[in-house]
Order: sequence, then C-alpha cells, then structure tokens
Amino acid sequence: MPSITLNHITKIEGHAKLYVEIKDNKVLKCELSSVEGSRYFEGILKGKHYYEAHEITSRICGICSCGHNVAATSAIENALGIEVSKQTLALKKLMTLGERIRSHATHLYFLALPDYMGYESALAMLPKYKKEVKRALSLMRFGNNLVKVIGGRDLHQVSMTVGGFLKIPKKQELDELAESAKILKEDAIETAKLFSKLTLYNIDDRCEHFSLHEKEEYAMLNSSLVSEKARFSEYEYLKYFEEYHNNYSTANFVSKDSKSFLVGSLSRINNNREQLSKDAKAILLSSSIKFPNTNPFTNNFCQAVELVHSMDQVIELCNSLTPKEERLVKPKLKKTRGVSAVEVPRGTLFHDYTLDKEGVIVHANIITPTALNLKNMEENIRNMLPVLIKKGNEEQVNLEIEKLIRCYDPCFSCSTHFLKVNWKRS
Amino acid sequence: MGRLRIGFYGLTGCAGCQLSVIFNEDELLDIIKLFDIRAFPFIKASNDEERFDLVFMEGLVASPHDIETLTRIRAKTKTLVALGACAHSGCIPAYRSFTLKENYEHLLYSKAKDIADVEPEPISKHVKVDYVLPGCPPDKKEILHFMKEIALGKTPKFNHNPVCVECRLNGNDCLLIHGKPCMGPITSGGCHAVCVTGGFECWGCRGPTGDANYKAYIALLKKKGYKKEFIKTRMMMFAGKIQPEEMKACLQ
Repeated sequence: MPSITLNHITKIEGHAKLYVEIKDNKVLKCELSSVEGSRYFEGILKGKHYYEAHEITSRICGICSCGHNVAATSAIENALGIEVSKQTLALKKLMTLGERIRSHATHLYFLALPDYMGYESALAMLPKYKKEVKRALSLMRFGNNLVKVIGGRDLHQVSMTVGGFLKIPKKQELDELAESAKILKEDAIETAKLFSKLTLYNIDDRCEHFSLHEKEEYAMLNSSLVSEKARFSEYEYLKYFEEYHNNYSTANFVSKDSKSFLVGSLSRINNNREQLSKDAKAILLSSSIKFPNTNPFTNNFCQAVELVHSMDQVIELCNSLTPKEERLVKPKLKKTRGVSAVEVPRGTLFHDYTLDKEGVIVHANIITPTALNLKNMEENIRNMLPVLIKKGNEEQVNLEIEKLIRCYDPCFSCSTHFLKVNWKRS
Repeated sequence: MGRLRIGFYGLTGCAGCQLSVIFNEDELLDIIKLFDIRAFPFIKASNDEERFDLVFMEGLVASPHDIETLTRIRAKTKTLVALGACAHSGCIPAYRSFTLKENYEHLLYSKAKDIADVEPEPISKHVKVDYVLPGCPPDKKEILHFMKEIALGKTPKFNHNPVCVECRLNGNDCLLIHGKPCMGPITSGGCHAVCVTGGFECWGCRGPTGDANYKAYIALLKKKGYKKEFIKTRMMMFAGKIQPEEMKACLQ
C-alpha cells in the first residue's frame, strides 16, 4: 500500500476542507475544518438588549434562521421567567416545522441526491429527473411559504419577538397551509420512498445519539436531552459537552467525555420514533432500514421521514389554532441566565444568555449542530478510509467521503458541496 | 447573443443570499434556461471558472481565503454584483470593528495562517463592484428582476426612496408614532417594507439613503426616550462600513 496524502484544496467556495494523511493504510491525521471567516456573533451580542438577540443571531444562518430566532427568544424567555401563551408556542413550532421542511427538501434533493444518481447537481438531473426536481421545489415552496406566513419573511423572520408575536396569521392563512400540507404530504411520502431505496455505504457507528425528548410529542423545544446513556436538562449542557478549538478550523468542536457523538434526524428518530405521526411511523416500519440505527448514512432517509411527520404536524397545528391578537408578555428584568435547546434541521441548537439587571446581554454562548457533529464526522472518515482505499480508486474514495460529509447536512455555511480532495502520493 | 455565463459565489456569510436565488421556486427552472450557470458551488459540484459575464457575490471579506476568492473571480468577470448586506456593507459581522475588543476577546484563539482573521470589510473595499443588490436577505424578486434587465441588455434601475414610501403604500401604521426605533426614514427602500408589514421595526439592512436627515432622525429618537448609545448601535449595525460622512458626523 503506497503512502497517500489526501489533501483538501482551495474550494471554489471554501467553507470547509478536509486534510488527511495516510501511511501504510493507517490514518495518521484527519482534519475536517471550516475555513469560513470568523464572525464573532457571541462577541457582537455583548452589550445588546435582550430583545435584540434573536434579530442578530438569525444572521448566523440563512437556512436555519428560524431555529436561531426560536432558540434566542426561548432562551431569553427562560431567563426572564416569561411563560408564553399556547398560541405563541404553537406558532414557534409551526415556524420550526416550516424551516425543517424547506431545509430538508433543499438538502435531500439539491445537495445529497445528485451523488446517488450520478450527477454533479440537481440542475444537471433535470432532463431525466424533472419530476423529482419539481417535487423538491414544491416542498421548498411550501416550507418557505409556511415560514413567511408565520414569521413575516422566509429568511430572517421578523414577526416573532421575546414574549410573543408582533403579527398573528389569519385563520384563513392557516387553513390554506393545512390544505397545502395535505397535498404536499404525498410528495413527502414519495421522497421517503426514494431515499429508502438508495444503496448506502455501511458504517456501524456506536456513538451516542443525542436529541431532545418528550413523552407526548416528537420533541422540538423546551425539553430535556437524551441519549442511549444520558438524560439532562438543557441548562446542564456545559456539564456534559466540552467545546474546544483546533487551530486548523474556524468552527468549534464539541466532545462528551472526550468522545464524539451525533445529533440530527438520525438521533431524533432513534430516540423519538415512538412519537412520530402514524404515517411517518408506517413508512419507517415498512422500510428495510431498521431502527435504532447506527449508520450515519441513513440520516438522509431520516430527514425524509421527518418531512412526512412535519406535514402531519403542520396539519394538526393549523387545524387546532384559532388565531387571536395577544399582548406580548412583559418581562420583569433581573440579573439572570437563560438557556434554550431547539431541534433545528441539522440537530440540536443551544442558545445561552446571561443578562444584567437592565436586560443587557453580558455573556452569550451558542453551539450549533454542525459543531456538535464535527468530531463524529472526522471519526467516521478516519474509520472509512482504510477500507475504502483498499477497494476503490481515488474518485470513488472522494465520492464516498463527500457523501458521508453531505449526509450530515453540515452547515459550515450550509454545505460542503464544493468539497474536493487532492491526492498526493508520497 | 448567446446565454450569459453566470456564477454565484459565497464568501463569509450565512448562505441566505444564495438561498434567496434558489428559493425562487417558481422561476428557478426558467433561470436555468435563460442563463448559462457556469458556477454555483453551493449546489454544483462541477464549476467552470474560465470567464463570466455576470457574477453574484455573497458575503463579506473576513479571511485571507475570502480575499483570494474575490480577487480571483473579479479578474474573470465582466459584471460583478454584491449580493446582500454582507457584500454591500459588511452587515452585522462588520460590527465587530466598532465594538470593544474585550467583548470578543474570550472568543479569539490561535488559528492557522490561511484561516486567520482579516479586518471585516464589504467586497467593494477590495475590488470594483458594478452593482449592489442590498438587503439582509436581498429581496428574491428583486434578484430576478435584476437578472431579467441584464439579460435584456438594459441598465437596471434601483429604488432610492426611503423604506417609508413603500411602508405607506402597504397601509402600515407608522411604528415611530408608536415609539419604536424604526429606521425606515433613513434606510433605502426596495424591500416593500417587509419588516414593518410583519410588525417589526426597520433595522436598516438595505443601507442608509444618501440624502437622509440623520440629525433630525437622531433628535426624534432621543425625544422618544432612546439613549444616544442605543441609537448609535442601531444605526451602525447594518450600515457597517458604508456609513455616509453625514451620518458618521451625527454619531460622533
């Protein structure tokens, strides 16, 4: 076996890179990193008012802007002891679901699927797979429209604030959303069928799978974290998760007991599949992919199952809401800390704020799902490479590694679809 | 005339501007017919950089890598468009330049040379920019309209009215009257006043209008009970590195 250096190159849009050194079929070094410029959001938040955090942090991510909105307002509400109304909670959930639908649809069809169909992009798939691309666009349109109706804009929402919503959707708008969701559910089911049939590389990754968990419903926010061996409140995340820097990456890494773990759709389905909607559960059971599952590549299928579940939830929430104007819940300011964990498309997102008695932010900590998953992605690549190199040529190895990275749906700035690996034989 | 060769690129940012292109779900397939998309690394694995008629550049410059990408692409591009607030003004990430270093000192750590920080700047600080599509996010229909005008060989025109003009057309209540620190009067429109229509005050994401009366605006907010430091922060948050001299003078 010749010595090989896998060396990432400059990306056309170099937000992520991979650097691997292999000698005698042993991986000496495996560094997956973000080369995205640092934006220091947590530093910018310092000195800002409690009611500004959600507007600022939404700019962390375009596709997850609702997630940051919901996490920021919820963390501040937790800090200030604000109990939001049932309606506010339902609207937050609807926004989270809308984002999940548009994000999963974009990821599944535009970023993940082309690899499996043998195309460079979804656009290139068009002549042969027009139906599939159009299905993706329909799902994205629906998710975006849902976010817009509830949040006032599809990216960087405006209508939600600390203590409630500044604008309440009309009943007719919710009815229309429920009607569309009923139709779009067919597209979600077709998506799940499509992704259940793809041939996947098999990894048996026995890491811990973390997600929020609730008995009553498929957890989205305001609940405790669970894994195969742990259960703790969102306030305790720093006791379990250790955030650290590597000098080759501008994204942080996170470990638990020095080990990597996993968040995202696969973790959610492993932990919460009992709480899925009836039809989502039926699809899960009829598939040849069994749960609990230890192969990260099944995350794509899990996202597709979540599309079906999300449609059912949207229908239920829209039907059960009779929207009415509400006053914002006013906070009593005090020196305090608030934490919120939200299940966003790529996994669990943490927002943590400490406020002074004037309601000014004195400390902020934000941990994104990609940071939580980064170490596990590295571990997977490290384990896959020796086997892959024995079997495949450079092109095949690169493709499988890229597929692995993409199945995590990482958000370095939302994708690593530009990941290229340079091979150097020494 | 053949189809224009176009590219979509992202520097440091949130990808929201590129999504604003993709999220034109009803028109995306027509865009592909009308334009030859040579590069779009966010959604394409194969990207040909030979030469471009038109490139949309998202994001601000915050790393050596950003500078390299930006100058490399500029050299191959006839018309370069700054897409969105980060490329236009540096947006919220550029606010770092105005805040105390001690605010984010605890976040600094040693980085390899090729990913070390550079001063956060809009792309116009480093290269010539031909057009700006402002906003955080940019208006997705405005992007389409712009592309159509370019395809037809026209010179695209832009809205220079303050946000208030469109806000009135929407029949919204004036949030300033309700005591909210709305930046509509001093902010360039073209966004259909989407924030105020959604119940939220304008934060100025499309950048300051050229001819606003900043002095009168600041006086008004002070009268409403807002402190100078708060007003200053709000006005600088999205205006980033493109604050007009008149505005800077008022914020001294």
